[in-house]
Amino acid sequence: MTSDDTRRERSTPPAAAADIPARYSRQVLFEGLGAEGQARLIAARAVLVGCGALGTVQASLLARAGVGTLRIIDRDFVEESNLQRQILFDEQDVRDVLPKAVAAERKLRAVNSLVQVEGVVDDLNPSTIGRLLDGFDLILDATDNFDARFLINDYAVKNGVPWVYGACVGSYGLTFPVLPGETACLRCVFESAPPAGLSPSCDTAGVLGPIVGIIASLQCAEAIKILAGRRQAITRKMQVIDIWEGRQDLIDLPPRDPQCPCCGRGVYEYLQGAAGSDSVRLCGRDSVQINRRDGAKLDLAEVARRLGPLAKVEVNRFLLRADIDAYRLTVFADGRAIIGGTTDASVARSLYARYIGT
Amino acid sequence: MAIQVRIPSVLRRQTNGEDMVLLDGVTLGEVLDGLEARYEGLRGKLRGPQGEIRRFVNIYINDEDIRLLSGPTTPVADGDEVTIIPAVAGG
Repeated sequence: MTSDDTRRERSTPPAAAADIPARYSRQVLFEGLGAEGQARLIAARAVLVGCGALGTVQASLLARAGVGTLRIIDRDFVEESNLQRQILFDEQDVRDVLPKAVAAERKLRAVNSLVQVEGVVDDLNPSTIGRLLDGFDLILDATDNFDARFLINDYAVKNGVPWVYGACVGSYGLTFPVLPGETACLRCVFESAPPAGLSPSCDTAGVLGPIVGIIASLQCAEAIKILAGRRQAITRKMQVIDIWEGRQDLIDLPPRDPQCPCCGRGVYEYLQGAAGSDSVRLCGRDSVQINRRDGAKLDLAEVARRLGPLAKVEVNRFLLRADIDAYRLTVFADGRAIIGGTTDASVARSLYARYIGT
Repeated sequence: MAIQVRIPSVLRRQTNGEDMVLLDGVTLGEVLDGLEARYEGLRGKLRGPQGEIRRFVNIYINDEDIRLLSGPTTPVADGDEVTIIPAVAGG
């Protein structure tokens, strides 16, 4: 008996095929899953961090697959520019200015009333992460910034919860699963985030719907294997795809790094709030200040060039000022920024991630 | 023959849209020197001030992770393919 078999017997009561709802028949017919695998999916609990492009595809696939409990966490509202790729939303959601987590929950209830879907409008940060992620079998990455991913990685490794990294921009995307204690963690592969402003985001470089659909689907394939206890089938590789060039690469993950701050040395810098960004509401100014703990030097000219098509941008040696929608972003060369037009730290962090990066 | 460096789409603004660059060099570091000399905009994006490969970029020589080889001092030969995989943030 393999350890997989042992684990399967321990955690899920054996299910008779007759107990499985008929709506899952095509999945049950699939040899790799069967009635027993489906029963495990029905008993499983998954949490999606983010409900944008990746998250809407993941949520739709996993709700349809019958993953019994889904929590969907997102801090943003549905906007018109989301509709090109965020497949759960429609024009009415934009008119209603619905939070994405709320809109997603409504749609998914109509998709599959047998699954428990809970949309949570909240910001994932070191002080909320325990409350938001405790008690789940798997975490799916559908975030749009590195801070959130490194935070998820710290939490997942510390608590032994598998998670699936996925990210895309333009026509390019990549994904790999992290099985704590078994495979390399995110920090073994990419030890640190690019400094603010060095990495393009979907809001500055654009993104095509199909790459998002592919990466989210690959993440869900791994999620289904993990949740169904089919660990031998997990793709323990990095999948890298560029749909504009028609290239797909399957790259070996590095072995776990004993010097990795997270999974090697057990120093959880993001959970402890010692790395990443920090935000402070500025009293009486309708503004939030974002500080970078990594002291990154920002190339203001580069950020200005990127934001040029999107905003009115002024730049000098010391700072950059961009007016985007109702917000004014003032960004300093050390990565610090003042986001005007809001007192909500999660809105400010979201704008920073989208337009400045990380 | 030369060393082929594949430029990922997210870095092609810095290479005027070129997706494959042919360069000479005896080590990976020399190849990257040549790449940065040709495309100034890549300077700082792949390597830090000491020439170390930045920790948010993975580089492979014929699918071998250079961190598991000898990093920037890894020898390269004609016909080798260098692949750059940057971490990205979107989603």
